[in-house]
Order: sequence, then C-alpha cells, then structure tokens
Amino acid sequence: MTITIIKPGLLSTIQDMGRKNYRSQAVPVSGAMDALSAALANKAVGNNDGDAVIEFTQAGAEFFTDSDVLIALSGDGACLNCGNKRLPPDRPVFVPAQTRLSLENNKEGSRAYLAVAGGWDVPQVLGSRSTYITAQIGGLDGRRLAENDKLSHGVNLSPLSQSIVNSLKGDAVNFPNWAIARSLFLSANRKIIRVIPGKEFNWFDADSATHFFSKAFAVGNNSNRMGYHLKGPLMSRTMEGELLSTSVTPGTIQVTNDGSLILLMADCQTTGGYPRIAQVAEVDLPLSAQLKPGDEIYFTELSWKDAERLYLEQQKDLQMLSRAIELRYGF
Amino acid sequence: MIQIYPISESAVTIEFGNAINEALMLRIAGFNQLLKQKPFPGLYDAVPAYTTLTVFFDPLVVIRATALPGKSCYEKVSGYLQQLQGVNNPAPVAQNDIIVIPVYYGGELGPDLEYVADYHQLSVDEVIHIHTSAICKVYMIGFIPGFAYMGGLDDRLETPRKATPRSAVPAGAVGIAGKQTGIYPLQTPGGWQIIGQTPVKLFDASRQIPSLLKAGDRIRFEAVTLSAFQNHKQ
Repeated sequence: MTITIIKPGLLSTIQDMGRKNYRSQAVPVSGAMDALSAALANKAVGNNDGDAVIEFTQAGAEFFTDSDVLIALSGDGACLNCGNKRLPPDRPVFVPAQTRLSLENNKEGSRAYLAVAGGWDVPQVLGSRSTYITAQIGGLDGRRLAENDKLSHGVNLSPLSQSIVNSLKGDAVNFPNWAIARSLFLSANRKIIRVIPGKEFNWFDADSATHFFSKAFAVGNNSNRMGYHLKGPLMSRTMEGELLSTSVTPGTIQVTNDGSLILLMADCQTTGGYPRIAQVAEVDLPLSAQLKPGDEIYFTELSWKDAERLYLEQQKDLQMLSRAIELRYGF
Repeated sequence: MIQIYPISESAVTIEFGNAINEALMLRIAGFNQLLKQKPFPGLYDAVPAYTTLTVFFDPLVVIRATALPGKSCYEKVSGYLQQLQGVNNPAPVAQNDIIVIPVYYGGELGPDLEYVADYHQLSVDEVIHIHTSAICKVYMIGFIPGFAYMGGLDDRLETPRKATPRSAVPAGAVGIAGKQTGIYPLQTPGGWQIIGQTPVKLFDASRQIPSLLKAGDRIRFEAVTLSAFQNHKQ
C-alpha cells in the first residue's frame, strides 16, 4: 500500500478527466473540477494527464505514506505540509515511507489535486476512474475517501516518472528546484469569468443582459460538484414558455424560474430544461472550480471562435510543458 | 428546418424541431443511428433529447482531422453533420421489440397506488390494468443515469406529484408525475407517486451498455406477483 488516509477532510474523491462516452445514458462526465490543476499535478510526476488523482475540497485532510512515493500537489485549494514544513506545489516531491502529510487551508481557492507517480490505482468504471457518488461508481468503491482507506499507485511507472524518482530518492523528503508555473495558464484576474452567450440568451430583457455582464454574482452556500447557485441580480424573461429538456454540460449557466443563476459543474445532469443564458469558456472552468461560497465573480463576453482558439492554444502550451519536463530528464 | 449551434467548445447541438412528438423522436433516433455508423474522428457520444441531438467530441482530434473541412472545430463538426446523408430527412430508426418491464404493484413497493386509484375514483386493479395496457415510448435518457423520459401514459392516470418529495425513493420504483410515467434507476430523493417496483436493473455500471433503455425504445409494464418479483431480484 502507498498511503493511508488519516483524516479525509471535507470531501476527498478520486478523479480523472471524466467519463466522456456515456452521456447519452445520462451518466455525468464527473472528473476533476479543476482539470488544469489535475493535469499539472500529473505532469509534475511524469504521468499522463488522464491518470487518477485525489481531489481534496478545502483543507483538513491528512495521510501517511506506507511506502516511498513520488507525489505532486496542484490547485489553489490547499497547501501540502510535512510537520511544520511547507512542501512546494506544482513540482514532484519524493516522500519516504512512514511520513505524515497534511493539507493546510489556502484562502486562494477551494480544491487541490494530489497526483502520484503511476496514478492512483482504482478500477476503471465505464472508461474512467472518476468517483460519481450518486451512482456509487468509480474511485474507491464509488464513494468519498474515509479514515483508514488505503490507496496504492499503479505499478508501471512511465520512464519519465522513474527518472524523476531516481533523481530525488533518499531518506528524506526531497524535491527539485524547478516547478510548473501554473499561473501562466490562468488569467491574471481570477474574479472575471469569460463566457459565451448561450442559446437562450435572447430570452431575457435588455436590463438582464446588462446586469449579467456588469454586476457581481456571489457563489451560494449550497454549491457542490453538481453546480453552484449564484446570487446577484435576477434575470427577467421576455420570452415566455418552457425549454424542452436538452443537453447541458459543465460550464452551462442556467436561469431558474425565479430568475437566479445556476452554474453547472463536473457532476451536473446531462440534460436540463432551464434556459441557458451562457456557457463558461473551457479555459476558465478551472477558475470556476476554485470558487468558494461567498466569492464574487463577474462575467465578460467571449465569442465561440475565441473560446475555441484559447482552448486549443492552452492544450498546445500544455503539450509543450510536457515536452519541457521530458527534456529536463533527458528524454 | 434544422438548426445547428455550439453549446461548448466540445459539443454541437442539432435541433430538429420544436415540439415533443413521436415522429421527431424517431427521426432523431434515426440520425443518431446514422452518426454511429459513420462517426467522425474525435466523436465521444451523441445525446438525444426531445428535439435535439447533441454531439460531444475531442477538439484536439477534430482540429487535426484533415478529412473534415473547416478552420475551426465547430466548422468541421457542423459541416460534417450537415453533409451527413439524411440530416434533413433521416430515415426513421428501425423499431426494436417491445421491452417488457415486470412490476409488482402496490403494497410497500407501491405505497401511492391507492392514492392514485382514489384520486381518479378507480379501483387499484383498474389502475394496474390501465398502466399495463399502454405501450410507452422512450423519448430521452436524462436526470440520473438510466432514467427514461417516457410518453404514452394513459390520460386517465395523470396525477400530480407529491406535495412533499420523499427523501429516498428506491431503485426500481415505478411512478407517475403529471403526464409522465417512469422508473427510478437509482435510489434518489423524488416526488413521483410510486405505484410499484420493478426487479429489473435500469442502470448497471457492470453491463457493457449500462442503461437498459435508450431513446426510441418502446416498453410495456407487466404486473407480476410478489414471489415472481423476489425471484427475479435474486
């Protein structure tokens, strides 16, 4: 066994890049809410982006290493501590067996991702290791992590992971002097979320449209992996009538019958019947994933064309990052 | 006239109409079948709904697909869907056999059966007879894994939802809500009037195709005895 969970924290689950082939059977995509941080944690230990990571929600989790491990933490939700020593994020960290590690609160965000070289070893269910608690599938027995859970990593490390391990291995916690510059992948102003007007954007009056793009919206307390309630000005309809249920996807912003907004997230239903006022740009979903209840955000408009271009550019940058890490270890 | 529009950087919706009807449902199922036979590179899944089919794909694969003309993923995918033979007039889907769903009606497994009977001034047996006589059509799968939105409930059984939803409705529960009848695939909170339970698993992640039902299917409920229900469940 690789680690034992001492304290699970608020909500800790195994996630990967999600379950993409079963939406027609109403299986949500799930996967890491902040897919960027999950991918970066994986890259730091030489994994594939789609290897399974642990998603921690806020701080409070503690675990113990039963054997030597190479791990990386990414995401604004927490910092990794070993005793009173802070371990740096966004880079590989070698941790010898019999070490106790804890996650400490970081007010910057709400989720953090722990990757291990080889990926967390849980069975794939419907093509993914992501936990979807409602249907009790994926992850560790389809549930959140609990005290005394034991997790192992996959035994087949990539040659890159093996090289990183070899360069850091010893009797003490050790990490290299390089780190991934995660902030380069995110906009400077994290309170501004770029969105594309949705199919039903014109169902709302001019004042609503103005408010949507100028007023603050605060993340509600009853927000979770399915979605966030956003508190702010209410949207007024000019078009009456009901939308017939149709596809929605993480990032869809729906308007409920009282005019308030819901931002759908990773575990959202596959279909919905509320009008879709906007869609969060894929590149800003990681920012959305890090929001906490009470955080205020503003929406700014983007075109579909630019949203797609930004996403493809980011993917290209991520591939270049992988290449840069490989070169560092002589691949 | 069909409409094609993006709903995300990795999804395009085709809207075939604007009202719920069986002809449209079959047309969407037919187009979905065609797309499955002729997928484009990067296609993950296509989700049928009442009036739409939404196609999900991997933008990294689509943008590199030289066989698809266009400068953006959206151009490539929408162009492909438009030229796909039959988009404007797809052949109706071949009808599968009717799927029979065994149900034990009433008792602890159908706690609202008597309420539904009283509401319509029918006997419990009449409710069961009416419910088992209809052929229901699956319009779409949504809400939770394996949940079928079905049409075809007899008007005589149309019953409002419960004023207060139950905190847990068991998997397999068969219910009525307004003009709809349906089956809960998983245990979840719910406000439908529960008239019975099926031992059949509507969703099972260990099956190759986990959802028993899909858009375009036809089903019929069949009343079974408690011992048949229990035998099936084991």
